[in-house]
Formats: sequence, structure tokens, C-alpha cells
Amino acid sequence: MDPKDVVEHLVALKVMRLTKPALISPKIVTCDSKDLPGNILNNYLKDDATSVTQMETLAAGQFLLLPQSFGNIYLGETFSCYVCVHNETNNPVQSVSIKADLQTNSQRILLTTQQNLSPTMLDVDETLSDVIHHEVKDLGTHILVCEVTYMSNYNTLASFRKFFKFEVMKPLDVKTKFYNAESDDVYLEAQVQNITSGPIILEQVSLESSQQFNVKSLNEINDGMSVFGDVTLLQPQESCQYLYCLTPRENISKEIKLLAAAKNIGKLDIVWRSNLGEKGRLQTSQLQRMTPDYGDIRLTFEKLPSKVSVEEPFDFQCKIVNASERTLDLILKLRSLQDSSLLWCGISNKKLGPLEPGQSLYISLTALPINTGLCNISGVSLLDLFLKRTYDYDDIASVFVC
Amino acid sequence: MDNKPSLSQYFGDKEVPPASQFFDEIGTSPSDMVQSIYLGEPEGNVSANQTTTNNLFPQNMSVSFTQHKTSEEMTFTNVLPTVSGSTAVPAASLPDPSTFFDTIGPEPQIAPTKPSIATPTVLAEAMDGLSIKNQPVDKEADRRRDAWIPNDEAKKTLMKAQSSPKGSFFPEREVLTMPGLILEEELADALQEVAVKYLGVSSAGSRGVVRAEHVSRDEAGLRELLRTGYLRAAINLTHVLISAAGQGVGRMHRPTKHTPRSLQLWLTRFAVMLRIKLTDPLLKEAEPFGDFSKPDMFYEFYPDSYDNRTGSLVPFSLRLLVAELPAHVGKPDEAVDRLYAMLDVIQTMLSNLREGKTEDGSATITETDKTESIRLWMGRETRVMHSLVNCAIAMKDYRQAARILSTLQQQASSAGARRAACSALCRLWLLAGHVRAATACLDAARDARHHICPTPDVREYVDMGLIDIAHGKYQDAYNNFARAADQEPTNIMVANNLSVCLLYMGRLKEAIAVLQKAINSDPERGLNESLLINLCTLYELESSKTNEKKLNLLRMLCKYKSDTIPNVLECLKL
Repeated sequence: MDPKDVVEHLVALKVMRLTKPALISPKIVTCDSKDLPGNILNNYLKDDATSVTQMETLAAGQFLLLPQSFGNIYLGETFSCYVCVHNETNNPVQSVSIKADLQTNSQRILLTTQQNLSPTMLDVDETLSDVIHHEVKDLGTHILVCEVTYMSNYNTLASFRKFFKFEVMKPLDVKTKFYNAESDDVYLEAQVQNITSGPIILEQVSLESSQQFNVKSLNEINDGMSVFGDVTLLQPQESCQYLYCLTPRENISKEIKLLAAAKNIGKLDIVWRSNLGEKGRLQTSQLQRMTPDYGDIRLTFEKLPSKVSVEEPFDFQCKIVNASERTLDLILKLRSLQDSSLLWCGISNKKLGPLEPGQSLYISLTALPINTGLCNISGVSLLDLFLKRTYDYDDIASVFVC
Repeated sequence: MDNKPSLSQYFGDKEVPPASQFFDEIGTSPSDMVQSIYLGEPEGNVSANQTTTNNLFPQNMSVSFTQHKTSEEMTFTNVLPTVSGSTAVPAASLPDPSTFFDTIGPEPQIAPTKPSIATPTVLAEAMDGLSIKNQPVDKEADRRRDAWIPNDEAKKTLMKAQSSPKGSFFPEREVLTMPGLILEEELADALQEVAVKYLGVSSAGSRGVVRAEHVSRDEAGLRELLRTGYLRAAINLTHVLISAAGQGVGRMHRPTKHTPRSLQLWLTRFAVMLRIKLTDPLLKEAEPFGDFSKPDMFYEFYPDSYDNRTGSLVPFSLRLLVAELPAHVGKPDEAVDRLYAMLDVIQTMLSNLREGKTEDGSATITETDKTESIRLWMGRETRVMHSLVNCAIAMKDYRQAARILSTLQQQASSAGARRAACSALCRLWLLAGHVRAATACLDAARDARHHICPTPDVREYVDMGLIDIAHGKYQDAYNNFARAADQEPTNIMVANNLSVCLLYMGRLKEAIAVLQKAINSDPERGLNESLLINLCTLYELESSKTNEKKLNLLRMLCKYKSDTIPNVLECLKL
């Protein structure tokens, strides 16, 4: 600001960003009482207003220090500042008012002041001031425009503006991965990385599921303790991985069409805090999964035991869903592959009858394990009689034989 | 003999009552261990002490001490470090070594006699520490205080020194510590300089110069300068004394003789330099000392001079100060390494002591000796751990800081100590932004406080207020600070926090008024660097015409403070 500018006006405008204050401690220098300086330096420390009685040698003070620089500001934090207009003359100044705007790349926001909207008279050495809060919702360059209007000595309205420019940065990097399970559950892995310049505490990370899913957080152990322990403190560049299980709601899981269309998973809601509780909150956009391509026919195994005994036959169910637009006429084939550890028991080339679109069908199967170890269940095929096309289903599930 | 400054003042300590020492002797039971690093509370009975102090001068004090007039201007800060919970000793009944030393300086002595600086031979003799031999010496206390375990490399040399016939031990250059002064120029009184520049010669006065020139050029004078706050003058005097001890400018990397006294001088110099943030020359001057592991830092290196004495010549506080040093220049990780190395030695010594052996494990000791030693070294261990916490905080490694603090909290044996640790943890979590954990720690601190007093005190109200600030509830915070102010209306920290809250509540004028009132009611403590920064920040926010207000603060500084503030211009934003 050009000093001449200030002189021209009857009032001066000052703006200070109010980040959280800091806790300050004195320079801790101590001696034994039998050292040359005796207790003199210890007494300095003890008499220092910033030291904590009986904990003088620990730099965790109680003395608040006002912010001494603008600092960084991140998306999702609240921008607060103190705006102050001071009468610099020896006479009262009439009709003083402040207006503050925040310009971002995309919009211009009028910052509502708590009071002082109507012009006031400022007596000698009086100030007109206000604290402005604004939750930052845009990235990039922001310009705070403060405009002060007052009645000049010539009884005309005079005004001047001041501009304060700052950059809003991205605080977190969120990477997501989806796994579509056989059971139609969807697992979401969300990696939250701290890309600010200081440590942050993740106070809350939650997934708000969409209408199509129920969500279960897998980040707590039985008694509600976080798997990350007491503290979810992230140093710069560190990240934390959260896991969620999403189960399609009942009306959706029944209908394979709806299931295939259920792309919206939900939104991650993250609340973090940094220096002395400075708070930020971000919500991701709607997270979308890649839905699995079910093709014409979807075949899954159910009621499959995880562990079976060797040379003892075991039963399980095979679910066949018609995901196509037409009625299917199918034949079930059971092939015994050469080096498979399982032998099929039962009838192959069984006709399954017509299956309407969207309908499902359960068949019981029996297999005999002949080798121990982890066995893949392979060799199930379906023959579509209309298209004369064979669908092979190999390695869909495994079972442990012992 | 009589007109030499006697080293026994600092090193022989028979006359010194043990009740009121800073690290080593506080408290009477092992349960006071952790508190023994606290600095205690000021006790105000000055007049009572003046009389006791007068009676206390031992007969063999140097001339400058016994020269009359001593009682005329004793404005010493008599401090009796008491421990909360332990029995408080009435200040008058116990002469405190600090008062004892701090007040012996001849105040208005317009210096006709400067015996110590006059004849180098006298000086050199005094420095050898020979005078110790004539004093009754508490050998156990010496051993305890000086104990340190040399590393294997140093041990070899020390063995050689001990086993060589008299006069036939010639150490290699590599095993020697060779310090020297770097900072050459005489430091001017910084406050004085600023005052002259901004207020003119007439208003600045010339107090500092007079003061510095009129103290005796010895340890007593040095303490006098420290006590009256002429810190830069004190650094200048250490320059003179260290040069006289043969470790002056240009002596770096040249063999020299170390004595307990020379190391005490270095300690004083370094401590003051650190206080006023002269870190660059300090780093350079501390560099030749390394980690004080060279064999010539041990008494065993000088079998001829220190018959049977063991341990290190290096005062513990100097060792700690130099270990912490990197943390003050933005390399806290280096400091952490050094501090852990220290902690390792301390823990070895503690385990030796617990086995009924001396610190270095070489001999057995009596039960009372053992108890005393364990108390001393556990106190020092805690002090090192505090430094480690401070480094972790400087690195913003709040996890590590919390881990160490939690250990301290678990080891705390009294409600007071546990409470202090919980309260510190609360603020640590606030620094990190972990408000929930901070609240939990505050609750734990409150539980511990119930064992001490039934109602919240200033510390608790302030911690509560800080948590409110973290939640952004400035009105609630204000109310809590106001409750604290009701209990201690003169507490500068509370007033400052009230003022900060007022600003965030949009009440700038009141914020300024609160700080100004705090300064006017107690200028000595109120004219604190951080408070001045806050006040000048508020001045600058209020108006563009701040100069006169800042100059008023400068005038107050000149009136009430001496040369203790590292950077006056920075504080006043001039």
C-alpha cells in the first residue's frame, strides 16, 4: 500500500487474517544451582510470563501468541479475518461503512458482516471493526476486496478499496479402489493423504452411502476403537487407508438389472483439524464404481463350505441368473478336467428348462475331492440351446481340502 | 589466598545448605523426583533474607565480597524452590545458595580494586582449582554431581593417564578438546542502542555502560550482570575471563588446560548466548567441544591435579545445553540423537546405582548415598526427557512427544506431577489439533487435581479456555480465562489470553486495553517479549499511527528492563 494513499483518506483500513493463535513457550535455559550462574537463569525462566509453573522446562505453554503471518489456507477450512477501520483524523468522520467481497475464479461472494452494515459515525481515534468468516469452497486464487465508504470533509461520499490476494490449496488427496465381490457386496478402499505442509488430525472419516447401498465401516474393532489406535495423526505426505463394505439394498440385490446399474456408491465425508484445532471439512463428489459385466448369464456358487475332507463328497448350490433380455433354454454340463482335484458326482447334460429374463435358478451340485490342498472348482458349463453357445465357468470359487 | 576468588564458592559446597537446589537437592523423598526439575515458586521474604545472608559470608571469601556495603542494595530475587506437596521451608530459615551467590557482588563499588584481573599469575593459580584442596569437600556430592561414563575410546586414554608414572603421560592431539572464542566484538547493550536510535541519547540514559564497567571482573561480577539483566555485558565479561583462562580468540584447535572453572565460564557464556539467541557464534564456539566425550573432559585425565576424583569436568547443564543446541537452529532431529545418547549414559548410571554401585559401576556405595544419587540422576533423566519432548514438539512430531509425555505421566509418583503431565499432554494435543484427546487429558488432569485441591485453579481454567479456542468458542474461552483472572488478577499470561480472545470476538479496543493494563500493573513481568509482540500486532491492526505507542513501550522497557530481550526491534515491530 502506498503511504500517500493512506494520508489522503480520513480513515485507515487494516485487515488481519485470524488463524488460530499459537501457544508459545520461553527459551528454556537452565542451570544447576551450583553452576556459576546459580539460579539466576532458572529464575528468569520461572518469572517469564510464558512459562508454566512447575513445568518450566517443557515447551507446552499456555500463553497465546497472535498469528504473525498469513499462513496457508486450504479448501474446506474457514477463512476468518478482522477488518478494522480507524479514524485517523482529529475530527469525527461521518457515515463510515465497510463492505467485503471475496472473488474466486468462478464467483464473487458478498461476505456478510455481523453488524455495521449501516453507516456509522466514527469519533476521534474510534474504530469500526468486524470479524468475517467464510468457509472456503473453491481452489485457487481468491481476492478479498474491502471497500470503505465515508463522508469526506467536503460532504461528499468518499471511498477506497483494498485488495488482499491469497491462494487456496488442496489439503487432502483421496484415492479410491473398488472391489466387487461375488456376494454382490462392494468393498471400498479409500486412501486419504495429507498434502498440507503440517501435521493434521483426521477427526472423522465416514462414508455416506447412496440410496442403493448400506454401508458398514471396517475401521473399528469390536468395541468401537479405531484400528488406527488413539490418534489418526498424519504428518505431511502420510496417508491412512480406510475400508468400507457396501451391501446393495434388498430391492436392488434382487434385480440383476438394478444391480448392474448401481454405480453410485456414496460420498466420503472428512473432517480434520490442525494447529490448535483449526478445522476443515471436505466431502468428495459421488464415488462411482465400475459395475461388473454379467454378460447374458451370471453363475455364482452358494452355500459352499470353505473346508472339506478329502474323499468325502460335499454339496453346494449353483445359482444361475438370466441377465439377458430373452428367455434362455440351458443345458448344464459337468466336465472333469484332467488335473483337477475334484470329481463331479451327478448327472451331466441336464436340461434346465426355460429361464425368463431376470429370473434365477438354483441347482444342487455334489463333488468329490481326491487330493488335499486348495482346489479350484472348475468344469461347470452351460449350453445355450438357442444360440448353440457354450459358457464355461472355471475357477469361480475354491475350497480347501484336508 | 584471601583476596583470590575462591572456587570453593561454586564447587566446594560444605557451607551450602542442601534445601534449595535446583536439580539435585529438592525434596526429601524419591517421590519428589520428577518435581525436582521444577523451578519452584518465588518466596517473598526479602528482608528476612538480607539479614541471614549477611551473617552467612564465610571468612575466606575474597576481598571484594567482604568489603562492607553489601547489604545496601540487595534486590535479589530470593527463590526457594519448593515442591508442591512437600513440606515448604520458610525462606528466612534457610539461606539459599542462589541468594548466597547472587548477592555477594559488590553493588555500587566504583572499582578501585580489581585484584583478580591485575596479576595473571594470581589468576592462573586460582583457576587451577587448587584452592579446592584447602576446602572441606563433600566427596560424595562431588562424585554424584560430576559422574559421567566415558566412552570406550576415552576410557583407553584415561587408563593410560592413570597408569603412567607421574609426568610421563603425553596425550595425542586427537584426544584433546581445543575450544576458543569466535565472537570477537564487544556486544553493546541492545536495548540501549535501540533507545538511543529511537528516543535520542537523553532519554535513553546510560545505565548499561555504567553497570557493566563497575562490576568486578570475576565470577561475582558476572553473576551481578546476570542478575541485573545486563546479558550482553555478561557475555563480554565471559570473553575476558575465558581469554584469561587461555581459551580466547585464536586459541581454537590449540591445546589448552581445562578446569572446572573454565567449563563453568563456557556454560555461562553459552547459556546467555542461547537466551539472547546469538546462535550462530554459539554453534561455532560449541563445535570444538563436540559431545564432551574427549578424555580431557574427565578428572581421571589429570591424576596429578585431581587425585582420585572421578567423573567429568563438564557441568551437566552444559552437556545438556550443547546437546539441545541443534534444536535451536532448526535441526531438532540432530538434537534428538544427542539427547538419546545422553539418556543412554544416564540410564546406565541409574542401573549401576540400583545395583548398589557408584554411577560408573566401579565401586560400591552406601544406602543413603545411593538414594541421593538415584534422586539426582532421575531428576536429570526427566530433564533430558523434557528436552526430547521439546525437540519432538519443534519437529511437530506430536506422536513422539505424546509418547514420552505419557511415560512421564505414568512414572509420576505424586498427584501434582501426574496432574502437570496430563495438563501438558492436553496442550500438546491441542497443538496437534486433536481436540478429543486434549479433552480426555484435561479430564485426567482434573482427576489428579482433585487430590490436591477441590476447586479448579488457574491452570485448569486456562486449559479449559484453550480447548474452547480449539472449538472456536471464543466467548466460552473468555469466560474461562476470566475465571482464572478472578483467582489471580495479576497473572500476565491470563491477561494476555483474555486479550487474544477479545480480538477474536471482534473487540480490538478492549483487547489492547487489557494488555496495556497488564503491563502497567506489573511492568517487570508484563514487558514480556511475546506479550509485546501481541500488543504491537494489535496496535498495527488498530491504526496506522502506531509509532508513538510503540515508543512508549520502548520507554517503559528502558525504565523497567535491562538488556534481556534478544530482539527489541522485532518485538516492537519498529
